[in-house]
Amino acid sequence: MEFLLNFRKTLSRFWSPIPAVIALGVLSAYYFGITGTYWAVTGEFTRWGGHFLQLFGVDVSTWGYYKLMSIEGNIFTRVDGVMIIGMFAGCIAAAFWGNNVKFRLPLNNIRIWQALIGGIIAGFGARLGMGCNLASFFTGIPQFSFHAWVFTAFMMVGVYFGVKVALHPFFQSKIKMQKVSCAKPLEHNEDKVEKFFTFGTFIFIAIMLWALYLIFILNSPKLGMAMLFGAAFGLIIAKAQICFTSAFRDIFTTGRSELAIAIIIGMAVATLGVFTYLNMGAAPKIFWTGPNVVIGGLLFGFGIVIAGGCECGWMYRAVEGQVHFWIVGVGNIIGATLLAFVWDDISEPLATSWPKINLLESFGQYGGLVANYGLLFLFFIVILILEKKYLRKSRNR
Amino acid sequence: MENKEIIPDYRIDMQGEPCPYPAINTLEAMKELNDGEILEIISDCPQSINNIPVDAKNHGYKVLLIDSDGPTIRYILQK
Repeated sequence: MEFLLNFRKTLSRFWSPIPAVIALGVLSAYYFGITGTYWAVTGEFTRWGGHFLQLFGVDVSTWGYYKLMSIEGNIFTRVDGVMIIGMFAGCIAAAFWGNNVKFRLPLNNIRIWQALIGGIIAGFGARLGMGCNLASFFTGIPQFSFHAWVFTAFMMVGVYFGVKVALHPFFQSKIKMQKVSCAKPLEHNEDKVEKFFTFGTFIFIAIMLWALYLIFILNSPKLGMAMLFGAAFGLIIAKAQICFTSAFRDIFTTGRSELAIAIIIGMAVATLGVFTYLNMGAAPKIFWTGPNVVIGGLLFGFGIVIAGGCECGWMYRAVEGQVHFWIVGVGNIIGATLLAFVWDDISEPLATSWPKINLLESFGQYGGLVANYGLLFLFFIVILILEKKYLRKSRNR
Repeated sequence: MENKEIIPDYRIDMQGEPCPYPAINTLEAMKELNDGEILEIISDCPQSINNIPVDAKNHGYKVLLIDSDGPTIRYILQK
């Protein structure tokens, strides 16, 4: 009984983000091994945009980007699709278990525009760069695709400029502190906590059954496993409030780098896992290293800071009732679809005429492994330097 | 977790503001406090759970209490 109570407490409280990110690194490597694709979300969002246009009779099957992304089937028949269903379910379970659902409206119109415009810029940039914080970063770097490194470098530059804008007095929060003489009472409703917890459990069990149904009844083990992994990804990002945007943004806003460093450790773990699967014959996901990645990284980094969250961060916040992030999600899908729309005009000069650089081919198998770890170490040093720089500046102020 | 004895001197109620603004305004507000004074921060941005306590420690403030039982989180910091 006591064990159950403790277990319940674990499900309701927040989880520590650092072990959570490392767990995501481990899971993402297994996910690649089992499904043959990496953990990614924006590609599927782009397909949703395509399906939306199809509703109005637009023939997107002739668009180059949808040929590249293969828009066949639907959300229930694609690995990325069922993974995202699982992710949403994991996020919903986490939010309801933690009594963390509340209808939160944006405070003013500035925030609404920030969410929409930032979301569109981030969605466009991510797809131009062939992935977001996942496919061109957290799960892209462990694929040894050099494009992910270039994307990451320029994303950092974009984040820096995004912070400059987001901290401009026009965007700053106008809320000031007041003198008080007592703590503010917070609502605490045991009945609601109970109901929410039960609902979270219901969603969690439902998604497990759905996944098992896919594996054993429909004989689609890959889809079922993708759904289970999605649920785990969603549960972890929501319980630990993992925010890739905050990991980099806050090095510049408050000099906090814990999460960025944890993400590097997560990628170091994933690198080894993915390397093992590649050695066993899995095909790596390699994309062009061209101007598309430079521009995409800049736009993406800028957009996520303006919006306040990235393509995977909006998902768990949206189900927590944060209306701001419903708008970011819509913005992401609009931006990604816009990119698909212009892709055929820009793809050759910006992307497809450029080489696909696989570090494992450029430097040899083990040379590439060492190169990837060397770059991860360099990234770690850059973060430490940026953090020191912020703290020195803030002390002098 | 609940500790009724802590009486804050100031409060900043950031409900409705998304991250990073709760963390930024908290640090701005802490600068204005005198040593020993206590600030209560109310935020309904759940992500602040990973920001405000860590930032407070990094900037040399004491975290007296975190009440994260519901969607609205209370932090009590002392300078």
